[in-house]
Amino acid sequence: MDMVKYCLGRLGRALITMAIVLSIVFLLMRLLPVEGYFGDRSDAMNPKVKEQVLKSLGLLDPWYVQLKNFWVDLFHGDLGRSIVYRKNVPVMDIILPKAKYSFQFGMAALVLEKVIGLPLGVLMARYKGKALDKFGNLYILIINAVPAAVYYLLIQLGGSSLFGVSMLYKPTDPTSWILPTISLSLGGIASTAMWMRRYMVDQMNMDYIKLARAKGMTSSQVSFRHVLRNAFIPMAQSLPASILFTISGSLYVESLYSIPGMGGLLVTAIQRQDNTLVQAMVLIYSAISVCGLLLGDIAMMICDPRIKLTKKGGSR
Amino acid sequence: MAQYRRSTEKPILSVRDLVVKFKLRGKTLTAIRNISLDVYKGESLAIVGESGSGKSVFTKTFMGLLDNNGWIDNGEILFGGYDLAKFKNEKEWTKVRGKRIAMVFQDPMTSLNPLKTVGKQIQEAILLHSNISKAGAKQQAIKLLTDVGIDDAERRYKQYPHEFSGGMRQRVVIAIAIACNPEILICDEPTTALDVTIQAQILDLIKALQKKFELTVIYITHDLGVVADVANRIAVMYAGDIVELGMCEEVFFDPKHPYTWALLSSLPQLGIKGEDLYTIKGTPPNLYQTIKGDAFAPRNPQALEVDFVARPPYFEVTPTHKAKTWLLDPRAPKVEPPEYIRRLREQGVTFNG
Amino acid sequence: MGIFSQLHLKNRVYENMAADLETSATEEQVTDDMFKLANHDIKEAEQTAFSGYSYWKSTLKVFLGSKVTVFILIFLAALLLFTFIQPLLPNQKDPIEIFVNPETGIQYKNVQPNSEFWFGTNTIGQDLWSRIWSGTRTSLFIGLCSGVATAIIGIAAGCVWGYARKWDRLFTEIYNIFDNIPYTVLRMLITYIMRPSLGTMIFVMCLTGWIGMAKYIRNLILIYRDREFNLASRCLGSSSFKIITKNILPQLISVIMLETALAIPGAIGSEVFLTYIGLGLPVSTPSLGNLIDEGRAVMMVASQRYQLFFPVIVVSAITISFYALGNAFADASDPRNHR
Repeated sequence: MDMVKYCLGRLGRALITMAIVLSIVFLLMRLLPVEGYFGDRSDAMNPKVKEQVLKSLGLLDPWYVQLKNFWVDLFHGDLGRSIVYRKNVPVMDIILPKAKYSFQFGMAALVLEKVIGLPLGVLMARYKGKALDKFGNLYILIINAVPAAVYYLLIQLGGSSLFGVSMLYKPTDPTSWILPTISLSLGGIASTAMWMRRYMVDQMNMDYIKLARAKGMTSSQVSFRHVLRNAFIPMAQSLPASILFTISGSLYVESLYSIPGMGGLLVTAIQRQDNTLVQAMVLIYSAISVCGLLLGDIAMMICDPRIKLTKKGGSR
Repeated sequence: MAQYRRSTEKPILSVRDLVVKFKLRGKTLTAIRNISLDVYKGESLAIVGESGSGKSVFTKTFMGLLDNNGWIDNGEILFGGYDLAKFKNEKEWTKVRGKRIAMVFQDPMTSLNPLKTVGKQIQEAILLHSNISKAGAKQQAIKLLTDVGIDDAERRYKQYPHEFSGGMRQRVVIAIAIACNPEILICDEPTTALDVTIQAQILDLIKALQKKFELTVIYITHDLGVVADVANRIAVMYAGDIVELGMCEEVFFDPKHPYTWALLSSLPQLGIKGEDLYTIKGTPPNLYQTIKGDAFAPRNPQALEVDFVARPPYFEVTPTHKAKTWLLDPRAPKVEPPEYIRRLREQGVTFNG
Repeated sequence: MGIFSQLHLKNRVYENMAADLETSATEEQVTDDMFKLANHDIKEAEQTAFSGYSYWKSTLKVFLGSKVTVFILIFLAALLLFTFIQPLLPNQKDPIEIFVNPETGIQYKNVQPNSEFWFGTNTIGQDLWSRIWSGTRTSLFIGLCSGVATAIIGIAAGCVWGYARKWDRLFTEIYNIFDNIPYTVLRMLITYIMRPSLGTMIFVMCLTGWIGMAKYIRNLILIYRDREFNLASRCLGSSSFKIITKNILPQLISVIMLETALAIPGAIGSEVFLTYIGLGLPVSTPSLGNLIDEGRAVMMVASQRYQLFFPVIVVSAITISFYALGNAFADASDPRNHR
């Protein structure tokens, strides 16, 4: 009963947050450079035509009218029409098919990063200060320090010239998946391993570990029955958001490998100054973010028995 | 009441010339300096001393729970036919740790895993050391909960630590400790983190369990009130050494070591209204350095010259009472214990927790 | 059980005294004349300090204790020094001058590294060597400015956040949302709105950076705020401001240094990305970001990959050094590692 109540309360808060966030984002979008509404022929237009375009888009109305229209349209599932990218096509029709590609790559990378990152973090904590830990830390250091934009390039270059794998994504060629998936997962492996290691080490220093050891458990029993489980819980909170965000795709990797996903789309939309498309995508990002937080809190509540009584809110 | 054995009885645990060292910030610290101690079956021994005197470190060596930067440098710990000081790996320790020697920690709020039900945590301890089924272990765990005075054990079994109060949690910790019928129970400041009203209940529980299961209990505490309440024998520790050892009443009413005098004098119960409480001047010695002579001498206003030169041996006061102070040497001048101690003896002050 | 109830216990434990007396016997010469009261000053006992522990000394000792750290420190110092004195050295070329072969009148395009052009030239005939050092200066400038600004804004906001209990829920909620939108999207968007320039670049780095910093400081303040020494301080009438500046911030110095050190590689990384999507600095202002992007454009041609590798090596060396030093300092400043 407590659980249902908590979930409903949390859901209500999420909805309110969502409404506020989307409104703010929408209003921020009014700051977008105005030429992004005129399409490719903006140079050829005279000021009068431009004004007409803006008027037809409702952009000359007072902000509160625009906001109201935005919400009305949103309830009809209408986020506007593309201006340049695919002229007059509803943006949702452009975005949704793209999300599929992003999700496929994102999930592949997410699985890879958890399958490698979690055990790596566990082993690093277990053998803290030993060779494996040092190696792992070096990896984390390099991945965190070197800009992703740089090592993505090196992977693309190295992978294609050393192993002859395709440099760009081809739907017909399954090997063309390899490089983008690896690129996408490297950062995730590093951060998963780093946090898992940190949580494990934190747990190992807790008093209850002393008691568990005093019970007569060996340190590997303590690691598996107590530390691992407790260290995993904070990881669980971020998992739903990670899964949701796979559909938004990676901006850089997707455009680097020409994957027709959402991340690449945002880059293109900005480069080609398609304001409605940019706006729709940023709104989707914000919505995903709020949903991810909601699901993360619910995941925490399921995993952590303390939440129901001790924490009223879902603040991290 | 605990049983006492004659001198022919062998001690259950016997520590010989134990030295424990730690490596800290590149320097070596000697935490335990040549301690020898016998613990007898069924007794309650209290180890008292101020923070940093090494009392916790000393008992941790019985469980193999020293921190990674500490090691036993010398000596032996004889228990159940083993020399615990020689134990190297965890497999050897599992024969003793938790099974034959168990421990209760200071802070019940953090001693339990917050994410496991208390029942599972007790059951886990039972399953570690015996071959019974899970269902059997559950029954036993529920019985243990009842034994430590938790009502409605069936329901409580399924609850998480945060649903228990501090005192209740300490009862659970005690239940875990006695789960495998240990021979020795070490209680490391078992009441320090609890409300005063709960402290007596927990001490009574430990005493009751001691009687019921014929436990040998070693208390570690800095609270002389607790000591007077529960202990048969007292070991006073200072700077990694036991400076005085005797039956409870001997140490309280006829203390011989100047440190014991100072410790007793600083009891608030002995203060006189309107006068400042007695405080021990100075700080404990630097254990990074080799200690010459009596470690307490620099803080002792009546220290002898010999105290700065040679480490005193044990002088026997009675067959059960001995102290490491040159004052007991026949050549020593007569130094009277301070006013406070005489008053304690004359008035026969009682302590009740 | 009072102490008297134990008095009737006459059945006593007899210790094995002989063994004990043997083990604790002392070797020093004890003479009869030593058995008199010593004249010693009891105040001296106060001075027996523990290990002469000093926080900053230990931090420095741990920090400089690692050979790798010292090596990186020296390397980075040399690199930075060189970056700034490079234009003053003799025979250095102008980073934006296009070099033309005087005989043919054609630009020196894509010239491989040689004794004249140490790192070769780019696709329009500019000297890569001088462009790289000029770019390093630009990127470090962005990194340092945004790092320092991030630290200042983040700390101020974090302090307010940490101490304003009423608003904590609201701030936390706002933080959660911002934190979950990828920073790259935010940076992109703001750069798009504000138009690319050096100022915009620094602004967007701060915009996303300070939030994380503020959250971090807020958490630390929550941890320290109700520590006993601060409660005591408050009871004595200290103001919140004084408690923050005197009691809490000194504990945060290492955090601040770490964050500033990490902001530099972070800023360089974002700059590289923003340049890639066309929101970077113009080519006339060389930066590590647009140098890498120029290199990327020609990386399909094996013989011209040096145009990618040189800036990549410099970027990696700088970011790894800053990151490693930041981490080493954070570890060294943690008292738990002072052993």
